[in-house]
Amino acid sequence: MTDPPARSVPGGALDAYPDPSTWDDVVVPDARAWPRRDERHYALVPTTCFNCEANCGLVAWIDKGSGEIAKLEGNPMHPASRGRNCAKGPATLNQIRDTERILHPLRRVGRRGEGRWERVSWDEALTDIGARIGRAFREGRHDEVMYHVGRPGDDSYVERVLHAWGVDAHNSHTNICSSGARFGYAAWMGFDRPSADYANARVIFLISSHLEAGHYFNPHAQRIMEGRERGAKVICVDPRLSNTGSVADWWLPAWPGTEPVLLLAIARLLLLAGTWDRAFVRRWVNWDTYLRHARPGVDPTFDALAPALLDEWAEHTPERAAELCGIDADAIRQVAELIGANLGRLATHTWRAAGAGNLGGWQTARCLWLLNVLTGSVGTVGGTSPNGWNKFIPVPPRHTPPQARWNEMTWAPEYPLAHHEMSMLLPHFLREGRGRVDTYFTRVYNPVWTNPDGFSWIEALTDEDKVGCHVALTPTWSETAWFADYVLPMGVGAERHDVASYETHSGRWIGFRQPVMRRYRELTGDPVASTLDANPGEVWEENELWIALSWKIDPDGDLGIRQHFESLERPGEPMGLDEYYGHLFTHSIPGLPEAAEAQGLSPLEYMRRRGAFAIPGDQYELHERELGEDELAGTVRGDDGVHRTPGTAGLHERLEEIEGHMPFIGDGSVGVDVEGTARIGFPTPSRKLELFSETLAEWGWPEHATPGWIRSHVHWQDLDLDGAERILVPTFRIPTLIHTRSGNAKWLNEISHGHPLWLHPGDAERLGIAVGGLVRVTTRIGHFVIRAWRTEGIRPGVVACSHHMGRWRLEADRGNERWSSGVAGLGHDGHRWSLTPKQGVRPFASDDPDSQRVWWTDAGVHQNLTFPVQPDPISGMHCWLQRVTITPAEPGDSHGDVHVDTERSAEAYHEWLALARPGPGPGGLRRPLWLARPVKPRATAYESR
Amino acid sequence: MTRLGFLIDQDTCIGCHACTVACKAEHEVPLGVNRTWVKYIETGTFPNATRQFSVMRCNHCEDAPCVEICPTSALFHSGNGVVDFDTSACIGCKSCMNACPYDALYIDPDSLTAQKCNFCAHRIDVGLEPSCVVVCPTHSIWTGDLDDPASAISRMVARNDVAVRAPEQGTRPKLFYKGADQASLDPTRTAIAPDGMIWADTTPAHPTPPVPDPEHQVARTAYTTAHPAPWGWRVSSYLVTKAIGAGVMLVAALLVLLGHAGQQAAVGVVPPVVAGAFTALTGVLLVADLKRPDRFHYILTRPHWGSWLTRGAAVLAAFAALTAAWFVAGLVDAAGAIEVLAAPTALLAAATAGYTAYLFAQCEGRDLWQSPLLLPMLLAQAVTAGAAVLALADVAMSVPEPDAVRWTLLSGVAATGVLISVEHAAHGTRHVELAMAAMTRGPFAARFRLGVLAGVLVPAVLVILALAGVVSTALAALAGAAALVGLAAYEDAFVRAGQSVPLS
Repeated sequence: MTDPPARSVPGGALDAYPDPSTWDDVVVPDARAWPRRDERHYALVPTTCFNCEANCGLVAWIDKGSGEIAKLEGNPMHPASRGRNCAKGPATLNQIRDTERILHPLRRVGRRGEGRWERVSWDEALTDIGARIGRAFREGRHDEVMYHVGRPGDDSYVERVLHAWGVDAHNSHTNICSSGARFGYAAWMGFDRPSADYANARVIFLISSHLEAGHYFNPHAQRIMEGRERGAKVICVDPRLSNTGSVADWWLPAWPGTEPVLLLAIARLLLLAGTWDRAFVRRWVNWDTYLRHARPGVDPTFDALAPALLDEWAEHTPERAAELCGIDADAIRQVAELIGANLGRLATHTWRAAGAGNLGGWQTARCLWLLNVLTGSVGTVGGTSPNGWNKFIPVPPRHTPPQARWNEMTWAPEYPLAHHEMSMLLPHFLREGRGRVDTYFTRVYNPVWTNPDGFSWIEALTDEDKVGCHVALTPTWSETAWFADYVLPMGVGAERHDVASYETHSGRWIGFRQPVMRRYRELTGDPVASTLDANPGEVWEENELWIALSWKIDPDGDLGIRQHFESLERPGEPMGLDEYYGHLFTHSIPGLPEAAEAQGLSPLEYMRRRGAFAIPGDQYELHERELGEDELAGTVRGDDGVHRTPGTAGLHERLEEIEGHMPFIGDGSVGVDVEGTARIGFPTPSRKLELFSETLAEWGWPEHATPGWIRSHVHWQDLDLDGAERILVPTFRIPTLIHTRSGNAKWLNEISHGHPLWLHPGDAERLGIAVGGLVRVTTRIGHFVIRAWRTEGIRPGVVACSHHMGRWRLEADRGNERWSSGVAGLGHDGHRWSLTPKQGVRPFASDDPDSQRVWWTDAGVHQNLTFPVQPDPISGMHCWLQRVTITPAEPGDSHGDVHVDTERSAEAYHEWLALARPGPGPGGLRRPLWLARPVKPRATAYESR
Repeated sequence: MTRLGFLIDQDTCIGCHACTVACKAEHEVPLGVNRTWVKYIETGTFPNATRQFSVMRCNHCEDAPCVEICPTSALFHSGNGVVDFDTSACIGCKSCMNACPYDALYIDPDSLTAQKCNFCAHRIDVGLEPSCVVVCPTHSIWTGDLDDPASAISRMVARNDVAVRAPEQGTRPKLFYKGADQASLDPTRTAIAPDGMIWADTTPAHPTPPVPDPEHQVARTAYTTAHPAPWGWRVSSYLVTKAIGAGVMLVAALLVLLGHAGQQAAVGVVPPVVAGAFTALTGVLLVADLKRPDRFHYILTRPHWGSWLTRGAAVLAAFAALTAAWFVAGLVDAAGAIEVLAAPTALLAAATAGYTAYLFAQCEGRDLWQSPLLLPMLLAQAVTAGAAVLALADVAMSVPEPDAVRWTLLSGVAATGVLISVEHAAHGTRHVELAMAAMTRGPFAARFRLGVLAGVLVPAVLVILALAGVVSTALAALAGAAALVGLAAYEDAFVRAGQSVPLS
């Protein structure tokens, strides 16, 4: 018998992490050699996860023997993730070691999309791309440069670059993601996200699956369960049984699109029962504006508010809500009682979900926040704060002025209130000849696959007259990278620099992502000048790339671009990232220099050692902060009590008076008088929470100025449910994957690789779908074929299919991750397109023996191809839910087949475009000045020409 | 004394699989196998439906059957409550995988040795928690000293309604579940539906009850991981070759008892040659079934005498030695020596035939094999096989006392038949019932029927006719041939059915 090895532990409690003071040399026996004690020495270097948006802390364990990353664990010093991670954190190791990854810059050979590539040097690639962009700038074609981003990673870096270039080039994924919820929140408070204080809440109300997805899965799941352990009740609204719904005390599977009705019914019950926070509402809601506009005949006293609201929402009785939502009326009453009994302690969240699914989905967030407002659960302990209070965006070194341009290819005149860029309409705008894109960057973004109507994207990307040069900045192959001219390999989580901060809980923090091998080289006395020299192959990182590319665009400095990228310490030379982040940490993070000094470290060294920093200070009820004399100096008090500053969006005669950067949110007013005291309030025009949005009223949508219900494009009563029509929920995350960015993680794909269509057994019987049978799902523009999965975890009438799977490649041995993609054939006859699967996931030969052990075959179905663009006319959010016909597969159909007619895509685009109410708005503006906008231009650019 | 254990709080577990992946990273666990995984089941009907999670892994049993059965002590108690393993000692016999009632062990495809959760013993060694504990977003995995009443885990276990998996196995597991749905801990009460799992392919190796059992199945398995049956045709063939080897010598001993020690060919040489050949074949099959056949000698060089695999190897060796001695005595025609050898050889032949009952009894995960009837069954099968071989030999040579051989054959098949029917009629645990159903009505029914028909009914009829004097030699030989075919079919059904009941 083997003698039990000697042990040092018994008796003492175990630690979760080695003491950070030992991180330069942690000694742990080798797991594979155990019980032989082969000591391994590790250097522990913190960084930040790059998989989902939560940016949890990671610590890379670098084996000092091999000089390679052995694993990634949590970072105990990270204030949000607190040393813990979801499955995607440790799976970062797969992404680093992925045998399929792109290791060198590649340039297309032959036609775009033909799939032939040649290796080029970074210098060659950047010289060519830089010259191209420089030419566009010199010829005044600034709007032909576009940067389209999926996962941002850094809060301000690229914004600074684009400002420096003087272009309105930012394009994001947000309108296919979260604009619905954002607009609903922004209409109330300017801030576009909630920050729920779950850990201290009594009632947690989720219209999202926050225990497995959402902003921000791991940090939120920790705190939701903490709150629950302390007695909070969890309510989850979702038509399908998510893991969150499973754990919740109440799973309320409302019909998709009826969520606002449920919420308004609850609000009405609170008002009827008198269980609402009158004092908070009186102080902080623009109820007088509401009464003036909505109830002109009524004397605008506070006592008139509740009767007016009850009148406004009179139809939303529990019984009517029960009928519309398909939820028991008693359940609605019980939930309302629960909420009413816990005033001030209601934590709520909705993010994508209903807001991203339905026409008018933004009203879901607006109605949910109404519950926070009525219960006084805004900014309280156990309530919900605006995200801006719990997020910190540092100021980068070197001031860059805002761009003076407005790009209508992204900020289209039809959608003056769109919360973000109309990114999903780009192929249609190009087809219509609204413009062209000379240089198009996709950055960790895969629109061909992720966006709706992917065949229209392929049509646009393969037309070199429409897109002159497509540069894919990506860590992995993707369906979109296949249609690029340059594929430039970017680092994954542990191979790049970023600073990020998110509203994960009550408190502010910044996290520092760093290339851990570069840091390790520094620690071992072998520093490198560029991340390129420490990453695998020629994998680089964007932040250094942007500096180098900007230099190539403006080599002589005559465009005025280069100056923004020059070192402060060594004028005339490019700024390095140590200088950039050193400056940023020293000059713009409150408390960080002091904390660093206390440990005898520079702020940069402090962050390189710890990876994150919690900014000191309490973050509750910040709206109540009284304004000082200095803050009020020079402001003008309006009749509404708002203190405005001349020369801001809030107070000006001409746009030219507004100089430099406008505030990211708000009109520059400093606060508002509340019961005689000037307080900071919220960044809305009224500085209060806007029950009545004058912005919506003035910009063409007076009927939706107050929280209400907009009938969804997939409202169940409009469907032929007795026939074969159903509502398809095509967007749900599962806890193990992240959109199209986790196909390179073998451990994650082993756990989850299929996404059968969830179908209630009763529906399956009615529709004649056999057990495990193939289904043809027909949309407005085409159809796809998928395997059915009967489950009681979905509302009859609704079918659902997770959105992670269905990845494909066109060649057997390249073009996408073989861990997760199938081989498919792409064909078209004019505008009739098809994707035909040829082979599922198979074992393959590589340097990783695991590639021969791939045991799963399902690669899923690329359903997004069959969805037309469906932009919400107000928020601009793509409405993901689909009205579909469900029929048994027809002879010849096979799992994964996709057929689409892009002419019908164009028709659908025009139908939805017709719903919009184009600008300009009041004052001839393209968009309200006060609303948030990424890479906000200077005020004069808002003028419609 | 430290006694480490796990408590998994299913009240707070969100089914995120972080533990699975952290474990893969910590131990570089290859694709296809898992040290820990998260099972999903779904219960109820819309809208009162839910999904339950349960985290599965080694239970670090106080009375660990894997440690008991391991022939080389590759699995061992560490002294701090952990059941650990030593890859360098493992011969890959997979007996631990059948001993474990929890599906905790797998064969690592790199080292071809048995591995499982070892509590991250290398981390414990330096005072660090296991990686799954550290990663868990909701702190749902608790660990600590169960012997310290003040430890968090002790308090959790003391103050909550906790459950363990398969308590009836008496393994005293140290993995406790708080808030777990009973059905999620009992793999016989849930099944993977024909349309598969929530987001992963289903393979034949995914554990699900072998036969539909709607009254007992209260939930659907929505996600779990694959657990292929450890033993296959090599082990069922080993039972046959061993029965022949042992049985031939038993019958030869009977002939010696009847005074035929002097029959050089039929008693002195042929039986030990046949027995030697089949015993050698038995050894070949056993070694071939090892995942690390290069290490087969570890059984002898680092034996764990508590394991019936080790004891069995010794029995086989001793039996082979006596058989060899018999053969030498036969060659030199030393009837006296054979008479002396007969009794010990018969005893060792019985031990050879029967020890597998004790080995299978150590397979705590396989209730079908726990039957008290297994020992008599193995002996009856050996007697049958031995008589069958001599009945066949009778065609080519003159075997003394052919009727005695035939009566022996008849006794063997009759006893086998009786034992099968008793086993069939008896009620056992739910695992036994499911395994019996798998054998008699499920995927192994054809083999089972062949086993009864060819192994019992046909030889019984034929040998009765032979005893009645109808073309005796030929019919007896046919009976013997049928009995051997039936034996092979039955053993295969028995070995496979025993492993068909899901453990996780």
